[in-house]
Amino acid sequence: MSENDTEKKVADRYLKREVLGEGTYGVVYKAIDTKTGQTVAIKKIRLGKQKEGVNFTALREIKLLKELKDPNIIELIDAFPHKGNLHLVFEFMETDLEAVIRDRNIFLSPADIKSYFQMTLKGLAYCHKKWVLHRDMKPNNLLIASNGQLKLADFGLARIFGSPDRKFTHQVFARWYRAPELLFGTKQYGSGVDVWAAACIFAELLLRRPFLQGTSDIDQLGKIFQAFGTPTPSQWPDLVYLPDYVEYQSVPAQPWRKLFPMATDDALDLLAKMFTYDPKVRISVEQALEHRYFSSAPLPTEPAKLPRPAPKRESVNPRASDFHPLEGPTVLSPPRKARRVMPDREGFDGNAYQVDKIDEHGEIRQAAGNYTGRNEQVPMSIDFSVFGSRPMSRPTINSADRSHLKRKLDLEFQHPE
Amino acid sequence: MAANFWTSSHYKQLLDPEEVDVVQPLDKDKGMTLEDFKLIKMNMANYIWKLAQNVKVRQRVVATAVTYMRRVYTRKSMSEYDPRLVAPTCLYLAAKAEESTVQARLLVFYIKKLYSDEKYRYEIKDILEMEMKILEALNYYLVVFHPYRSLSQLLQDAGINDTSMIQLSWGLVNDTYKMDLILIHPPHLIALACIYIASVYREKDITAWFEELRVDMNVVKNISMEILDFYESHRLITDERINIAFSKLALKP
Repeated sequence: MSENDTEKKVADRYLKREVLGEGTYGVVYKAIDTKTGQTVAIKKIRLGKQKEGVNFTALREIKLLKELKDPNIIELIDAFPHKGNLHLVFEFMETDLEAVIRDRNIFLSPADIKSYFQMTLKGLAYCHKKWVLHRDMKPNNLLIASNGQLKLADFGLARIFGSPDRKFTHQVFARWYRAPELLFGTKQYGSGVDVWAAACIFAELLLRRPFLQGTSDIDQLGKIFQAFGTPTPSQWPDLVYLPDYVEYQSVPAQPWRKLFPMATDDALDLLAKMFTYDPKVRISVEQALEHRYFSSAPLPTEPAKLPRPAPKRESVNPRASDFHPLEGPTVLSPPRKARRVMPDREGFDGNAYQVDKIDEHGEIRQAAGNYTGRNEQVPMSIDFSVFGSRPMSRPTINSADRSHLKRKLDLEFQHPE
Repeated sequence: MAANFWTSSHYKQLLDPEEVDVVQPLDKDKGMTLEDFKLIKMNMANYIWKLAQNVKVRQRVVATAVTYMRRVYTRKSMSEYDPRLVAPTCLYLAAKAEESTVQARLLVFYIKKLYSDEKYRYEIKDILEMEMKILEALNYYLVVFHPYRSLSQLLQDAGINDTSMIQLSWGLVNDTYKMDLILIHPPHLIALACIYIASVYREKDITAWFEELRVDMNVVKNISMEILDFYESHRLITDERINIAFSKLALKP
């Protein structure tokens, strides 16, 4: 029955158009939503060959995007299964910030840069307000709609944060956008990692090339230190305690003016606050949006008036079309595959370990478990021995207690009427 | 955290008790009563808990899985969505959603170990098919808030640090998943109700602390009463009673 419904849905609701490209976990094609007339992009999520159902990364993206509704975040319009595959329907986005930065026919005025960057921070501020870390901020994940609105996309690496002691993997972000604490292997990080990446994007908008193009993690840190100088203990007291800390030869910082010759003083001040080494001192996204850079002249360009690459309809993959390897520096992001590292789940439950051990120890554990009939009541979770009654099969509180408690509660209970 | 909850899909999806206590027409046709319905859900919460013990996942995953299962049955019938498949699949999905994936083959292995009854026999492909159906039934909303985090914060705030109080209130919270409270009340109120019961039981007077909280104590007390009522009725549940509920489900319509 549901199969029938979805058949209809694709046929009745979405008119399939051309393939747009290969996404992180399957084909993306363009379609028209006949219900709204809107152009949409549909991601078909391939089910893993390893028989593990709905792709883990896709599920993460669904989970978070269902909670995130904001003008600067890509909208997940719908999701449906079709022929055994899950399909995600997103609003159609014309281009992305990487294509804008790379297009040599586009001139970005200071007001244009301010507008693109402000929208980036607004989307990010919304995520952080909802306790979501994006963890994969880079220009080609910032999509641009036909009305010029920039929207954060690709939440496949995003995580909910909030517990300060929660351990995360440091294998996130494309290397060039990775904060120094990640490069030093920290597993306890916060929204500062997105701020650093956003600063790299700001720098890239100003320079029209990726700012710090390391070829390895070590080299990435080297590039960072070459620009901002080796961090001193007073700048970043916790540095020496990071897991992968190694001492770097001390190099002096370059003047900000030399790094970004075209930037205004306000822009430099904001960059300096976002590129602060100590994540505890680094400015928050919310604070960055309050920075005078955004309120001083020139005011940000209206999104609809922002320059965008001319649409290239014949190209299946418009992202690659403007790339001329002989002109200037390489601006392609590191290959996507490289950053698709499955999260290190050690810090959570050690399930990976569990899985490996199961065949050897399953039997033994089973024997010790002594399971009885299927309707056996699972013991209540408290250690009932404290109640002096039979510990496992009886609930927490017996009926005598309960009446006694109820009486007590009743005494205190003040009815509003 | 709270600010987060109030803007979440979880908050928007909270239901009234009357909306939760609805036996789907298909199940009703088979003679299932509200009591049968609640019993099966409780039994399936236990099933999830048992499986989780074996595959070793965090308490949070169990809580999320039970919440998914309870949400599914506010929209779908047990006749079409066999609880004995929905339960393990909810655990499978919750483990993924809570970032601690459990392999489907591992679940299938333990299902076979735990239950010889072939009504429980499901294979990997059944779980994967059901996963998709559950995602649809949940309307793809996967983020669930639980009382546990509020509980630790509240206990700390109340200056409660003796182990017996902490254990008692924690256990009470675990037991609330045998009921539908998580579909009806904000998690921090459930946590407060559990602390409240624990404090009265242990004769710890923390009335002053409760009064300082900006929460409606009437709601907290009502939840406490519901929990106590549950313990009372739980005493009367027998295996036979559960078997009757399941046998109704097995009837041909």
